[in-house]
Amino acid sequence: MTDALRKHGRGLLVFAVAAYALPLLLAGNRYFAFIGGIALLHVVWTAGMSLLYGYAGLMPLMFAGIAGISAYAAVGLMAAGFAFWTALPVAALFAALVGVGLGLPALRLKGFYFTLCSLVIQTVITLAFVYFVNLTNGDTGISQIAPPAWFGGPLQGVGFDLVLATLAVGAMVALVLIVEAPFGRRLVAVREDDELAEMLGIDVVRQKLAAFFVGSLFAAVGGAFYAPYVGFVSPRSFDVLLSLNIWLMVAFGGRGTIWGAVVGTVLLAPLPFLLQDYYKVKDVIYGLLIIGVIVLLPGGILGGLGSRAAAGTGTQSPGLRRKEAA
Amino acid sequence: MTGRVPLFEAEGIVMRFGGVVALRKVSVTQFEGETLGMIGPNGSGKTTFVNVVTGHLAPQEGRVRVAGAEVTGFRPHRMAAAGITRTYQAVRVFRELTVADNIATATVDAPNRMDADEIAATLDWLQLGHRLAVPAGSLTLFEQRRLEILMRLVQRARLIMLDEPVGGLSATEVRAMLQVLGDLRRRTGLFVIEHAMKVIRELADSVVVMLAGEKLMQGTPAEILADKRVVDQYLGRAHA
Amino acid sequence: MPTELVLISTLFTGLMLGVIFSLVAAGVTIIYGSIWMPNAANGQFFLLAALALWSAAVSWGLHPVVAALLVIGASVPASLLLEQMLIRRFYDVPNRNVSYFVLSLGITQILAGLFSVTYGVWSDQFQIPPLMAGITFLGPFPVSNSRLAALVTGVALLAALFALLRYHKYGRAIRAVFQNRDAASLRGVNVRAIYRLSFVLGNLVVAAGGVLYAFAYSFDLSVSWSMSITAFAIMIIGGPGSVVGAVAVGMVFGFTQAIVSAFASPTVATFSYLGAMLLILLMKPSGLFAR
Ligand SMILES: Nc1ncnc2c1ncn2[C@@H]1O[C@H](COP(=O)(O)OP(=O)(O)OP(=O)(O)O)[C@@H](O)[C@H]1O
Ligand SMILES: [Mg+2]
Repeated sequence: MTDALRKHGRGLLVFAVAAYALPLLLAGNRYFAFIGGIALLHVVWTAGMSLLYGYAGLMPLMFAGIAGISAYAAVGLMAAGFAFWTALPVAALFAALVGVGLGLPALRLKGFYFTLCSLVIQTVITLAFVYFVNLTNGDTGISQIAPPAWFGGPLQGVGFDLVLATLAVGAMVALVLIVEAPFGRRLVAVREDDELAEMLGIDVVRQKLAAFFVGSLFAAVGGAFYAPYVGFVSPRSFDVLLSLNIWLMVAFGGRGTIWGAVVGTVLLAPLPFLLQDYYKVKDVIYGLLIIGVIVLLPGGILGGLGSRAAAGTGTQSPGLRRKEAA
Repeated sequence: MTGRVPLFEAEGIVMRFGGVVALRKVSVTQFEGETLGMIGPNGSGKTTFVNVVTGHLAPQEGRVRVAGAEVTGFRPHRMAAAGITRTYQAVRVFRELTVADNIATATVDAPNRMDADEIAATLDWLQLGHRLAVPAGSLTLFEQRRLEILMRLVQRARLIMLDEPVGGLSATEVRAMLQVLGDLRRRTGLFVIEHAMKVIRELADSVVVMLAGEKLMQGTPAEILADKRVVDQYLGRAHA
Repeated sequence: MPTELVLISTLFTGLMLGVIFSLVAAGVTIIYGSIWMPNAANGQFFLLAALALWSAAVSWGLHPVVAALLVIGASVPASLLLEQMLIRRFYDVPNRNVSYFVLSLGITQILAGLFSVTYGVWSDQFQIPPLMAGITFLGPFPVSNSRLAALVTGVALLAALFALLRYHKYGRAIRAVFQNRDAASLRGVNVRAIYRLSFVLGNLVVAAGGVLYAFAYSFDLSVSWSMSITAFAIMIIGGPGSVVGAVAVGMVFGFTQAIVSAFASPTVATFSYLGAMLLILLMKPSGLFAR
């Protein structure tokens, strides 16, 4: 544990300084500060996706759905009179457990079949958000979600941004501790060759399940904070495109590298907001980037830097890397 | 001479794939301190037998016992925990990971693993110490085969089932591998599938001959080589 | 009397939707069966054909038949271009289906973005001028001749597709590649050429489905995603690579949709497809009609 912190200590320190500085530097402009906050929120999500995709080699397209379940659950609990800080753990745990429950059968499937199954599950979740109107207010969504209470007042503005910075730093510390623990090594083994990993004594299903639970928890915590931070949730907020975009941030930065996901997030998460009126152009840009990553940058932009995990970037298991000439 | 303690007992194993019957009521017992060989023509069910014993396949009929306890249908990770492990016919290591990471992965869920000094000594013995930082995929085939063995040794496996350990090696490498295996059989139980009779003759105390999914016979290398059926059915053709 | 009306109308709708689903799913499964590409963008290609038809027939004022032929014809060079630029790069990649899947999701996102900043701004509902005037009565049930023509054309296309795959040498080569790439290449089939041919043929069939759909129904941009999901469900249940499976399950889905939407909301139909697909994925991932 201390080894892990020593190894990534400098990175974590730099990230923490940047994460806290960001809201303070942008405090003058609420809109930019909001974009910064959204990026910090996405760091929580990409940390979870990094664990699932970068380390365990799973591509869960239901990631956004789990975040959404948590967000709706948190909003529902708050509407029922619970404080946000009570609703948060309940909603997050609930969503992560639902995620594991839904994902459990899919975890037996491999590669494309797992991804397809997760897409189906995501679609079901999105449809459920639309369909169960009395819980979710359907397509219209729920707006004017109250901010969490914080020392007597509402948590807003820079205060909320700093809470998100803390959350993002916490997520990265957790990710570092997880992947540097024996658990991380097991996941890499499962990603590289699950049959061989099993033969060497690793309980593959159990590791995938554990990774799925932890990854879902990241998704869910991010979702629960998303609701009051943005103040609005709708089925569109948590559709498959969000899953895909979070995946893109990880893959773009470099799968299996701790900091690649952060770089990818910082570069890509603010994009839709900076495009403002051309909001929909984001889809085109993200789509082009997805193709670019698959075709040109299978290791991501940090993938070439030779850390241990980076050496394992391209694997056959999810097969996102072209066969090496060597 | 041996304590006659069985390493594993396979009893009446039947394994079908759709219409293909790969194993027909095969019974084999391996005792501690004994090296068992298995020969047979292509497709006679040798690899399938190893797959059943190590938990990769659940047989339709029959039982596998390890240390007296029934383990039929256990998943491979539980077989590994019980000390029963195998190598693959086509060499299989984590190609993208370094040799050091391969070894570390082999120890991560091994309850009885070696300590660092023992690992270092084993690395020396298998002459892989200088390759620790290299991705396993860029090792030579012979080195990869040694790494495979090393990864089982650091777990202190009680039985390693080797599926054609000299396949693809050059004549010199085969000689070197024979030496390695000769030492290895003093460290752990060995079960060796081979087409190369030389390997079987040098290593095996007893040899199981497979033919079309059935156990044709079992005996010492000298006995089976003297058997007309074996010479006709297998050696005659393999050497033709 | 009203029962009869409902019956015939449900039958007709089921047949119409079934034929369109079958065409699209057949296209998707042909591409998956040969090059191993699960094309999640099939719904966008389907919509692209429908929108292009709308542009040609409405904006440019071409005769609907000319417009339809133009759109379906144009899918060929478009597919070839795409194959040349992107698809063929992965032909030798192991486990390329995941790469292709993600790639096609990227294409989906690009097309969805493009449609929403163009067609989405121009109109929310798209309707093509009828192929021909008049209505025909099937018993008590009136059907526009245009829709009837779309149905007949669809059935004819499916029949032609089957004939091609069964009797023509290219079709037989495609099926040989479905069954066993290595054996096919040993028997002298140029596997890469067959890949290209399958990609073109598959997309052409999908485009034809889109064109027929646009003649039969007015549509909006949301049809793409539900078509993608439906076609995937059909392919998985029918068995990836099985054209017979795609058509059989496609027809079942068409009737299911017609029956369900006569009595409940379309969401229920979608839920049931997804449920069926999930079940098959978990129980028998090779599908019902797997060889
Ligand atoms: N997973 C499987 N699915 C279907 N058939 C299989 C499977 N594994 C093995 N078989 C069949 O079982 C039979 C025995 O195969 P096996 O691999 O055990 O033979 P082998 O003795 O190891 O041959 P070789 O010397 O070529 O390695 C063969 O007919 C093979 O095709
Ligand atoms: Mg074999």
